[in-house]
Formats: sequence, C-alpha cells, structure tokens
Amino acid sequence: MKKVYARDELCVNCRLCEVYCKTAHSKSKDVLTANKYEDPAPVSRVTVYGDKMLSAAVNCRHCDDPKCVKACITGAMTKDKKTGIVSVNEDKCIGCMTCLSVCPFGCVKEGKIALKCDLCRGEDEPTCVKNCPNRALVYIDLEGAEL
Amino acid sequence: MPVNYIPRRFTVIRDRDLCISCGACVRQCSNECHSFTEDGSSVFSNSNSCVACHRCVDLCPTGALRIEKYVCDYRENANWTPQYQQEICRQAETGGVLLSGMGTPKPYPIYWDKILLNASQVTNPSIDPLREPMEIRTILGSKPEKLTVEKKGKSTVKMPPQVVLETPVMFSAMSFGSISLNAQKSLAMAAKNLGTLFNTGEGGLHPDLLDYSDCAVVQVASGRFGVHKDYLNNSRIVEIKIGQGAKPGIGGHLPGEKVNTEVSNARMIPEGSDAISPAPHHDIYSIEDLRQLIWSIKQATGNEKPVSVKIAAVHNVAAIASGCARAGADIIVIDGFRGGTGAAPVRIRDNVGIPIELALAAADQRLRDEGIRSRVSLVAAGSFRCSADIVKAIALGADACYCASAPLIAMGCHMCQTCNTGKCNWGIATQRPDLTKRLNPEIMHERVENLINAWNHEIKEIMGGMGINSVDSLRGNRMMLRGIGLNEKELEILGIMHAGE
Amino acid sequence: MKYVIIGACAAGLACAEQIRKEDSDGEITVFTKENYLPYSRPSVSYFLKGKVKESDMYLRKKSEYSSKRIDIVTGAEVKSIDKEKKTVSVGKKTIPYDKLCLCTGSKPFVPPVKNAEGKTNAFTFLDLDSVKKVKAKANSKTKAVVIGAGLIGMKAAEGLSVICESVDVVELAPRILPAVLDEKSSKSVKKYVEEKGGIRFHLGDTVVEAKGKGKTITSVLLKSGKELECDLLVLAVGVRPETALAENAGLEVNRGIITDPVTMRTSDENIYAAGDCSVSVDMLDGSKKIIALWPNAVYQGSAAGSQMAGGSLELTGAYAVNAVDFYGLRICTCGLINAAGEQYSDKTVQKDGKYKRLVFEGNRLVGYVLINDVENAGIYTSIIENKTDLTTLKDDVFDTPSLLMFESAEREKRLKGVI
Repeated sequence: MKKVYARDELCVNCRLCEVYCKTAHSKSKDVLTANKYEDPAPVSRVTVYGDKMLSAAVNCRHCDDPKCVKACITGAMTKDKKTGIVSVNEDKCIGCMTCLSVCPFGCVKEGKIALKCDLCRGEDEPTCVKNCPNRALVYIDLEGAEL
Repeated sequence: MPVNYIPRRFTVIRDRDLCISCGACVRQCSNECHSFTEDGSSVFSNSNSCVACHRCVDLCPTGALRIEKYVCDYRENANWTPQYQQEICRQAETGGVLLSGMGTPKPYPIYWDKILLNASQVTNPSIDPLREPMEIRTILGSKPEKLTVEKKGKSTVKMPPQVVLETPVMFSAMSFGSISLNAQKSLAMAAKNLGTLFNTGEGGLHPDLLDYSDCAVVQVASGRFGVHKDYLNNSRIVEIKIGQGAKPGIGGHLPGEKVNTEVSNARMIPEGSDAISPAPHHDIYSIEDLRQLIWSIKQATGNEKPVSVKIAAVHNVAAIASGCARAGADIIVIDGFRGGTGAAPVRIRDNVGIPIELALAAADQRLRDEGIRSRVSLVAAGSFRCSADIVKAIALGADACYCASAPLIAMGCHMCQTCNTGKCNWGIATQRPDLTKRLNPEIMHERVENLINAWNHEIKEIMGGMGINSVDSLRGNRMMLRGIGLNEKELEILGIMHAGE
Repeated sequence: MKYVIIGACAAGLACAEQIRKEDSDGEITVFTKENYLPYSRPSVSYFLKGKVKESDMYLRKKSEYSSKRIDIVTGAEVKSIDKEKKTVSVGKKTIPYDKLCLCTGSKPFVPPVKNAEGKTNAFTFLDLDSVKKVKAKANSKTKAVVIGAGLIGMKAAEGLSVICESVDVVELAPRILPAVLDEKSSKSVKKYVEEKGGIRFHLGDTVVEAKGKGKTITSVLLKSGKELECDLLVLAVGVRPETALAENAGLEVNRGIITDPVTMRTSDENIYAAGDCSVSVDMLDGSKKIIALWPNAVYQGSAAGSQMAGGSLELTGAYAVNAVDFYGLRICTCGLINAAGEQYSDKTVQKDGKYKRLVFEGNRLVGYVLINDVENAGIYTSIIENKTDLTTLKDDVFDTPSLLMFESAEREKRLKGVI
C-alpha cells in the first residue's frame, strides 16, 4: 500500500506537517482557526522529532500486522482490508492507550481517545506530504524498494 | 553593547492575530531573528540581524510575517548618502575590506533595457513556433577556416571538438564550497535533463557528480584546486578562469570554516584551511603562457575537450579576447561586471570592469575584424535576467550565455547579498549541514528546468516574431537590435542603430 | 482439519483469526459459555459508567465471523475434553477436533467473607453479565464497597464512583495496584484517585464479615474492626486461571496450564493453551507467571493458532504491558516493575504530576512505569522487547523516546516501518 515515508536527510525541522495535520484533523479545517482558536485544540498525528541537525516527521506506518490492532482491548483499532489504513473507531475506543504503549514507532497520540494518522482518508495525497516544503515526506508504495 | 552606528536594515513585522506560534520561523532563521518566549507560548522577533531573505515569510503558514525596509532618515545629502556613511561606520568598526555577495546593486546602466528587438511585419513573415520547427540548438567549439571535401563528398577537415547544447543557456561557474553540493547537484541534474552544461567553478568535481561529468565544465583557476588528469577528463569543456566579472583582477578566498571534509576532498586541500585563489595565474604572464596552458590541457585530455578561457570584461577586453583566440582557446567567456559572486570586495565589485553588453559587442566586432571570429565561440556572462536579455546577447554576437543568479533565484535565492556569511537560509551559499539539506535537488532541478524551458519557449517566440527560425541566424544579427536613449558612442560600440533609424 | 477453541475472548479470537489466515479450509469452532459474541472485557467498567454502549463493546462486526467462517457458539460451556478420542463434550453433544486450543481465561477469585454467599447485592466484576448486575443495583444513593485494589477492583471503583454516593475500597496489601505500580507511584495514584473520585481506601485491611437482613447486605465488617455501610459489595480481589477443564483432561497444570513458551502447545500434542489460563515464561527474567493482560493473550493466541494450522508464527516472548487510566490519569507500565535483585537498577523522576520510572538490568531496559508522561511509550516497549543495548542509543533513554534516539541504520529501518 501507499504509505507516508519520512526522509530524515531532507527534513528541515519546520514542522509545518504538524500545523497542516492539525488543520486537517480540526473542525474548522482552517489553518488559523485550527491552530489558534479551536477548543479542544486539534492534535497533530504526525510529530517531528529531533533538532535542526537531524529531524524526522514520524507518522503511522500502517503496519501489515499492526501491534496496536492486536493489543487493542476493545476492537476499536482496526486495519482496513481494502485500503490497509489502520484507524480508530471513535465510538468503541475507551482511551486506555494500550495501543500507544505497544506502538514501536511512537505513532499513537494521546487524546480523549487514541489519535493517529488516517492518511487523510480519501485524499489523493495526505496533507502532511502535500505541505512539506522539502519533499521530506513522500507518499509512495515502497514494496521493499529503497527510498 | 557599544553604540550601534548603523541602523538595522529591515523590520520584521509579526501580525499577532495571525501568528499561531508554530515556530517554523524560529527554527528556520539562521540569523536567529525569531525566538520563543521562555514558556514557549508565543514567538517574538528581533529584526537586528534580518537580511530579508524571506525564508520565514515564505514558510509561515498563516502569512503572519512581513518584512519592511527600516526607514531611518538621514539629513539629505546627494554626496554623503546613507549607504556611504554606513559603509564607513562598518569599516570604522572592523578595519576590514567590505565584502558582499551577488552582483553589484549600483544603478549602472543596463544596456539590455536600452536595446529593443525587431519583429516581422508584412515584408517577411513571422513564424509561429508552435507550428513550425524552431532551432535553438547551439554548438560550441572552434570552427575550421574552410571546408575541404574529397571526391566522394566526405570532409577532409579534422573537426576540433564540438559541444552540442540544446539551449543557448548554460549555468555559470559556482564552486562547491561557495555553493552547497545540493545546489550544484541541482544544476548538474538540470543541465543533464536540459541538454546543457553546468560549471564546477574552481572547486573541483565532487564524486557524487561524476554521473554528470558529461555536462560539466570543469574550471582550472589560479588556485588549481582539485585539478588532476581525471578531473580534466571528467568534463565536456575545460575552462581556464582568468577573471570574474564581479571582481576582475582579484583572486578568491574561501574561508577555512567552509572547507569541511567534502570540500577539502573535492579541492584537494587540507580540511579547515583557507582556499586562496591568487589574483593571477602564476604561470601566466602573457598570451604565450596562456597558449602553453591551453596546449597542456589539450594534451592531458587527448585533444577531445574544447578549452575555454574565461575573462572579466575590462577596458581592453576586445584585444584580450583576440589574444585568447590566438592562444588556441576554443571558447572565450566574457564575464560582465554585473555578474554575481559568492563574495567580493564591495569596492571592486561596484567599481571595476565594464558592462557585458559593451564588452561582448566590442569583442565580437574585433574578432570579426581580425577574421578569427569562427575560430572561437563567444559566451557571454554577467547577469541575464530573462530570455530577452539572452536574445539580445546572441544578436550582439554571443554563441551562448552563462546564467547563475537566475537559476539560484529559481532555487530560492532572494538576493539578500549575504552569501559571504555562510548562513544562507535557502541552503545555497552555505556548507552548514542543517542549512544545505533545505535544498532538495529533487525539487530544485525541476524548478531550474522549468525556468530554462520557459526561457526556451520565450526565445523561440521572440525569434519567430523576427521571422528567424534558428538561433544561428540570430547570432550577431545586430540588425535585429535598436538602441533607445543611447548616445552615438554607445550605439557605435554596440554596433546597432537607434530606434527609428 | 477441525479446530476447536474454548473461550472467545482475546486469546480465543486471536487464535481463530490466525488459524483462518493460515488455513483457508479448516473448520473453526469457538465455544464460549457466555451468551455474547466476543466482547471487550476490559471495557466493562466503561460500560458501567455509561461511556460505551453494549453494542460498541463487541470486538468484531457479526458479519466478520461469517466472512472468515469462524463459528462462534455462544452459551456453550465445554464440560470435558477427551484427549485420547480427541473430542470435547458440549451439553449433550460430543464434538471431534484435530487441534484444540484452551483459552478459558480467568475466573474471579472470591475471598472468604462470612455471610456474603447467596446475597443479592454481592457481585464479582469480570464479565458482562456480572457487571450488568452491578449496574442494575447501583444508583446515586448507593454506598458501594469494593474488595480489592488491583486493576479490576480499581476500575470497578472508578466506574461506581461516577454513579454511587460513596465508594470504599478495601485492599489487603498496603498499597493500591500492587501488581501494576511500584510503591512510590502507587501512592501518588492513590492520592489522585482519592481527590478526583472521592474514593476512600482501607489498605492493609480486609472484609471479614457481611452483615445484613435476609439476603441483603447492609454493612461490612473489616478486620481492623471498622464497619462500613454497604448496599453493594463488589468482590474484585483478583483472578485465577480457569484450569479445571485442563486439569480434568489430564493436562499438565500447576498455577495455570503448562505450555511450551514458543509454540503454546500443552503436554498433549494436539492441545494448545493461550491467554490468562496458561503459564507464561517472562522473557525478561525467565520466571514463570500468569500474565493476565490483553496484549499477551492476543500474542499467545495468534502463536497458538499459527502452530495449530501448521504455520510458523511463534511467541517471541511474553512480557507484561498494560495501559490504563483513572479519571484521565494515564498509566502505562511494562515489564518488570517491582524487580528486586542486585542486577536491577532504576531511575525515577516525579515532577509536575508526571511520573517516570525506568528499570534497568545492566545495559538493558526491563521495565517502566509512566504516569501522565506516556508519549511514545511503545518505543520503550520495543526497546524492552528487542533487548536493545542502551549504549547504542544516541540520546539519553530517559528523554522522551523517539525514533531519533536510534542510530541511523535502525532509524532508517523503523522509519520504513520495520521493527
């Protein structure tokens, strides 16, 4: 499946992916409102770690056999068979964060319920990829190939 | 803090209603203009070190930032302008030569803007480049005096090495060291895809760029950095750099802090040592000496590479060009005084040399007069801002043009003229790894290609309008040019008539 | 191939799904004595306080079972196993199997409380049925007493505190959540829960007698002599592995069913066991214990399922990992939390309502307790699971963990999604 890959050698640590991810997962979908006024504040599902010398935008890997799905105690975390997207059912999730404590990539965020990347469902290109100024994020089907 | 005698140049204005405190500006500004408050809740700016490179402005997701010229009036004085006063203060503080980057900002005449192009009406038809073939392929190299043919029609002349370009636009010399490897690689990739050449400058050829040696002009400059047999042979053209338009008569100085491992390897000098290019080549004191170097290079490259000689446009440029041609150069590059640079002494840059338009016209005319124009290709350099400048240069006699500032602007350069500080926020004129990675060759080669492709379209359009379908028919075709607002002498040197004539 | 699975919670369901992944033809039958399709047992306390609806507690959509051809037989208690004939008896029927997996889970441990038996307002707190009973009894005037301050008791108390007038928790141990938290964090969680939920704790104490009229308890007497008013008594002292079936079938059992720690096979070659009913070998210290936690049950169930279907998936190692929240206080724990012994060291920082304790064995991380500071806890879990040499990390392991703490080759791998 197509996934978002971070190329740390190109990440410039601007963290605009976070800004736009928040916007995409906000009520208003407006960059200013989402990042300044919305309450509760939307949560970015992508996080840039590191500093100016080395940084990377870490995002859900939508694993083939996701630990978060296995560990989910309510059946809220599922991997869609067709799209491969791992996502949280908001009604079923109780916010216990077991998924967070087993994700080896650090890609589940805390919230009232577990929050994670949904690849901007339905979009041709996730918003973090679209707005990365240096193409440090790419949305491709890697199939074992090199980045 | 002692008294600051120089007011700041710019003011960063942050619209608090729009700022979301995302901190992109804080993390992007290498001049450290932006900071978070201690608790991290908001961002503020200190404009003192702003150079107006616009990195923060361009990346701000909400358009909260604006940079304004800091206006601080001095008592009016046409002679003692604020600029001179400030430069004096800077020198009073440092005791040093003033340095700056890019081409001169002084309002010297730009003749391109005083030359108008012709178009066909009625008597000869203009050509629609979208419907009819339009040739902009350009071939550089020495052409034989005459063609002799054997009975079967085969030429008996041994052709000197030729270089075919798919566009008359080439990328001028910018060394790895003065610009980042990523910037050079972007140019190399673009050159390869466009069918033109990039130029290593005097910085040697980085191993990463060996794949692009087919479209590389490798320079042999006075420092002879990185020059060895393989370097000379990993090229399409070998260029002897005598001078540079932005700083004629002056050598180069790459400060030791920019000489990291990679730069040191490419230049074959110790890491951290200053890379000093002497003002002259110490083995060239005459045209005869130049001839020897050209001959040596030809020997080293099996006579397979055209050898180019790059000179700065100075007062007697025409005679020097003639000498270079007679010394055996296949290509002569004339670099006008508005040309860019990574760092040059301000006084030299702003006062030495002559405009490329006059130098080109004079040299082309001189070579014609001497009957040796076909022995060499003439390449013009020194600030081409658009396709019309290129067309005018070709009509003045250039075979091709070298461009550097324009592709750099395509890659993000905002002409802040602080290349010499090594803090280029766009990852161009810096070796700081946190900054160089901001320039992704994957993106930038596309942008440069787009630019040159756009220019190619425009050149074809302009040529079509003139009823010319080949760049060869435009070359030296000064009838296509008319001067506007130029005096007799200028028109005479340019070899063009005044508009209306 | 006929697969029979007894029990339809975490391990049983994982086992069935894994079998279907590897064997598209086999017949899969899952028996559960409960009257529900597989549901989330850990959610029962959220059901109690009304945060989730019953319909949202089911682990899979009904249609998934038919599309995966997994036959879940509800209300079907397996009475016995005949391992020689390879059959199980359910009700009056005898069902043959080729491969059998026991995922019988836990049963609540009911402490001896005088006069508590047969009362209409004393309940255990484990499955949906028991919680439905509690829910039916609890109202805003109820004075509830919970025996046990382990995970189940605490979640029951939290759920009840939202509904009831008062909640008292009686725990024999001197601290709450003794199996999950270390002493220091236990104290701070207790304080938080007392403040947020108004729960009263009676630690180091136990209920000795239930008092009341007829079948209704009205108060409980503690060992310390205290007497607590009580309209609802929840017995949540703990759980024990449900091993009766295995024992009667003649399988090796001690505290739980003995299995091979890699293949999950029991002493019978056609019978496997997974989840809370089986004994795990903790990969971190080699000790044999019951790890009655969801992720472990799923990993074991998947491994058992694969092995039953002739697949290659093995259990890479059992360890405890658990996440829970009380009134918004996030607690993530993993590995050896209360490790005692010279080989272990730890670093603990408590600051601004956050708590972080890492337990080390030499250059390895073997456990953590994170409270309200759980960002990227899974990276710690993976470091524990992979037995990563901490000296290969670029950053201090105590900083917020991220992929950037790994050296470049490992980082590249993980950024690509390979663990």
